[in-house]
Amino acid sequence: MNLLLLGVSHHTAPVDLRERVDFSKRGIVTALRELARCPSPAESVVLTTCNRSEIYVACDDTERARDDLAGFMSRFHDIPESELAPHLYARTEGAVAQHLFRVAAGLDSLVVGEPQIFGQVKDAYATAAGERRTGTLLNKLFPWSFAVGKQVRADTGLGEGAVSVSFAAISLARKIFGNLKGLSVLVIGAGEMAELTAVHLRSQQVRRITVTSRTLARASELAGKVDGVAVDWSAIDEALLQVDVVVTATGAPAPILTRASIEPVMHARRNRPLFIIDVGLPRDVAPESGDLEQVFLYNIDDLRTIVSENLARRQEQTSRAEAMVSDATEEFLVWLRSRGAIPTVVALRRRFEAVRRAELERLEPKLNRFPPEARARVEEITRVLVQKLLLTPTERLKSARDAATAAQYADAVTRLFDLEENRSGASSLAGGMEEDREPAATSKTPVAS
Amino acid sequence: MTLLPLLLYLVAGVVYTVFFVRRDSRAGRLATASLAAAALIHTFVIGMRTVEVGHLPLVGTASAISAFVWMLAVAYLYTEVTTDERALGVFIAPLLVALQTISTVSGTVSEPAAILDSPLLAAHVVSLLFAYAAFALACVVGITYVLLFRELKSKQLGFFAARLPSLHVIDVMNGRAVGIGWLFLTAGLAVGVAWALRLQPDTSDPRVLAMSFSDPKIFVVLLSWAIYSFELYARRAIGWSGRRAAWLSALGFSIVLVNLVPVGYFLTESHNF
Repeated sequence: MNLLLLGVSHHTAPVDLRERVDFSKRGIVTALRELARCPSPAESVVLTTCNRSEIYVACDDTERARDDLAGFMSRFHDIPESELAPHLYARTEGAVAQHLFRVAAGLDSLVVGEPQIFGQVKDAYATAAGERRTGTLLNKLFPWSFAVGKQVRADTGLGEGAVSVSFAAISLARKIFGNLKGLSVLVIGAGEMAELTAVHLRSQQVRRITVTSRTLARASELAGKVDGVAVDWSAIDEALLQVDVVVTATGAPAPILTRASIEPVMHARRNRPLFIIDVGLPRDVAPESGDLEQVFLYNIDDLRTIVSENLARRQEQTSRAEAMVSDATEEFLVWLRSRGAIPTVVALRRRFEAVRRAELERLEPKLNRFPPEARARVEEITRVLVQKLLLTPTERLKSARDAATAAQYADAVTRLFDLEENRSGASSLAGGMEEDREPAATSKTPVAS
Repeated sequence: MTLLPLLLYLVAGVVYTVFFVRRDSRAGRLATASLAAAALIHTFVIGMRTVEVGHLPLVGTASAISAFVWMLAVAYLYTEVTTDERALGVFIAPLLVALQTISTVSGTVSEPAAILDSPLLAAHVVSLLFAYAAFALACVVGITYVLLFRELKSKQLGFFAARLPSLHVIDVMNGRAVGIGWLFLTAGLAVGVAWALRLQPDTSDPRVLAMSFSDPKIFVVLLSWAIYSFELYARRAIGWSGRRAAWLSALGFSIVLVNLVPVGYFLTESHNF
């Protein structure tokens, strides 16, 4: 059984095509069920986000499965294959693991380190597992990717820090006030920037949004959009007494709030913290206002600086994260190769077991003279002896670091113990053994979770 | 056995530091577990001493410091469990280790004078130690407020902004710790005054007779009471919360520490039982 991935992402396709191959439109479950009708994939997981649509499968013949999956994507989304093909990418075996580990860690995202993708990968796997579309390989691969994603985020801090101006403002508000739900916000100005910030604050469920503008009608319009209240321009000072956060975005040629105008307000507020987000250009708030105790003044450049510092920090951590993904991929490959040794291991065990049985049968007349307890003891001793003799060769066969060494080991063992006749039967038996050993819920991963 | 709490506080301090730097949740849980283990063993040691000497080991500066460390550890653990906030442990643990070291190095349990055998005195000592533990918490919380405040004001968000809770949460914690500490300090002082006034007419013990406003220990504790009273008043009446309250907490606890260690050891004539 081999691993194969076929997909479309922001690296290979424009947004209009990505929108058309979004599996969530018709439903992931529907996709999984239709995929189950394709002959080649034995296991499958469908991952779809706004930036990628990918199908991970375990199959016997990767070439055939690749054609099947391309045809399936084309049919499912009703897009001609010729149109879709140039934007598709495929990975096999270790490259599938490396890709998924990078995806789960946020390294393959449009904004490196963004946190949502981790949950989306988990959901994709849970949905496929719920539909019983996962088996030995994907039950190992996906939990492994969760462990890698978690470890990368914990050890590198890749997902930390706001990477957009509005999120930076929200993060700062949280750092000052904690919970945003009880906060009151005053928006001064009713332009595009003011609206963007107000909408973002509304999505954080702030308690009250007050909007003011030189034109009350425009203030009322914005207030309607964000479920707030509009007040007259002359009521700014009064509003400043009540609110916790002020967003200014007027485009006025001179500052509308100065240290002299804020100082008495702060006194009347008994120095309750005031967070001022000045996204106006030119600035709406005189910079020296930020010197006042408990006034936290951030203008658009300050917010952009925070964003660029966070992006730079993420970039610095990228090489560390890539190295961690590489190590994890190598470990996964060792596990994957160890599966290749299973038919040889099974054949070897059967060979030894046959020898043991033959010897016990040959000695049966003599053993029959002993009491049943002694015969059982002989049975037990010979069984343990065989197990112990096979322990080291089994481990060596399964832990070969590369495919060539693994093939050499398997070939040598096959020749030395004349296993050829047992191998074909062992292959099918090995598949069953693996299934028994590794159900989805108990898959182990060597990376800390 | 007496070294064991100190060693465990040390271990907890190391694990809290690892947690603070790496923000690994497993290290965080381990830090809480090690501090809880330290507090538990400390409880056991105090219990053993109580059985050994037949009274609570609160008499003498070393014993008082040890009891203070225990109360601070328990108060901090309570705060941590109720707020699910572990970032302050790295600031508390060094204080626990430093004070427990002083107590361990210098400590033997003193036999209390017969004059001290009074429930009023026990209430006085326990109240004051609890107040000091609350003030220690307030001080540490205040320091973290100042560290985070500076990063936010300078717009250089970094190490502390990534690790500490919000300014509001820290300020609320500071206010509560000072409020609770002030209540216990006031109650402890009132009980102490009542105890001394009851004894002074009939005793010739110079330590009891020295109990007046001119005794350094009493003067300094009243000074700390005045500072904490002002902090509470200023927070409510003139909006001195946040950074100003944090500085006052640090000043107040510095005075408490001075009273607990150098004044307690070398200067007081009234409280050296």
